[in-house]
Amino acid sequence: MPNQPANKPSEEELVLRLRSRETAAMSQLYDMYSATLYGVIVQIVKVEGVAEDVMQESFVKIWNSFSMYDEKKGRLFTWMINICRNLAIDKVRSKEYRVTGATDTLGASNKISVTTESFNSEHLDVREMVGKLNPEQKQIIDLMYFEGYTQNQISETFNIPLGTVKTRARSAVKFLARIFKTRA
Amino acid sequence: MLNEHYIASGVLELYAVGGLTQSEREEVEQRAAASPEIKAALDEACAAMESYAQLHQMAPRPVLKTNVMARIQEESAAADGPVVTEQEQAPIPMYAGHEREGSPYKWMFAASVVLFLISGILSFYFYNKWQQTEDRLQLALASEQQYAQNLQTVNLQIQQQEQVLSILQDPDTRYVQLQGVEGHPEAAMQVFWHPQQQKVYVGALNLPAPPQGKQYQLWALDNGQPVDAGMIALDDTNFRLQQMKEIGTAQAFAVTLEPEGGSENPTLEQLIVMGEVQS
Repeated sequence: MPNQPANKPSEEELVLRLRSRETAAMSQLYDMYSATLYGVIVQIVKVEGVAEDVMQESFVKIWNSFSMYDEKKGRLFTWMINICRNLAIDKVRSKEYRVTGATDTLGASNKISVTTESFNSEHLDVREMVGKLNPEQKQIIDLMYFEGYTQNQISETFNIPLGTVKTRARSAVKFLARIFKTRA
Repeated sequence: MLNEHYIASGVLELYAVGGLTQSEREEVEQRAAASPEIKAALDEACAAMESYAQLHQMAPRPVLKTNVMARIQEESAAADGPVVTEQEQAPIPMYAGHEREGSPYKWMFAASVVLFLISGILSFYFYNKWQQTEDRLQLALASEQQYAQNLQTVNLQIQQQEQVLSILQDPDTRYVQLQGVEGHPEAAMQVFWHPQQQKVYVGALNLPAPPQGKQYQLWALDNGQPVDAGMIALDDTNFRLQQMKEIGTAQAFAVTLEPEGGSENPTLEQLIVMGEVQS
């Protein structure tokens, strides 16, 4: 299953190989995570051409700064997705993107999420359950995860008390964790 | 903050969702690194978001992988020199770029030092060469002077030879062979006399070495009267003629041994050679 996250031992091995600068390990890493990372990047930048650029920059950065990854501080995927999200959000906020990407923004977003989600039948039951996620909570985590808002920015922009933002985010993640844990 | 409170504060979930600022995230990472409990809770939250992210998964075009791997090969080749070890934290691209920028200056500095040393060595070398050349030039000039002097001497000798030759070739020159008298059978010399020009030369001397304080004197005998014809300067050559005093008329020539500086009248007891002018 190329798009499934690796099981523990092979991820450790992969990390070791990446630390010894094995480019072949990078190829494996790409196979394992590209679809998930790309999906998130597309959600953020909304335009596939831009997403491809961001994806490329992200993998170069992952390769070049791999020595910064510390498994004691967190999961490999989390480290990688943070790099991708940061670059994607930077791209969205850059002037260049606002000029070239502004026109496609509206239509692309919905279309993409529909097409991609319908492909993976395995996720259908999970999707149903995620659909039960409280819309207010979902809004908070989507704003953070896909739009790059911080808790403070959400509180200010949408006039929601900071405590409420925190609670909703926490509840949403707890809810998701329960869904995916029962599946696993 | 106690770990349980920290976990319950919701900051880990905000981390997983990406709702924290950079500095807040670093704090969470540090707490996670310090506490397995927090790390476990953080991983759980992150795993949940990872699964959430997977719901949006979307396979990129295959060509993207080709491009990505090409870029990574490039980066790998470019950074092949300095191998990054685990201890060496964070070779951030910015930093690596900076270092790469610095190295040409190092090389330029090293190169300039080397060039300076080379030019110093060359200067010394060429200075020595120049000094040697100067010395040799002095030698050459000295030997050239020597040659010039020699040439002058030779020219002088040739002039003298020519003079001798011209005297000998002149048909009016009288040749007088002086023979050793009794007691000096070995002695002999020649006199060349040109009566018109009144010039007298002596040559082909074969006289015994005079004792200390004595000198040979030439006399012309004119009608039995001895006339002083000058002192003979005895030297090496047989090919040179010595010009003596002018003599107008003479029937014979003779040489006597006289005190240095000569005498007014010949000391006849000391007569060495004598010869008559052939008419």
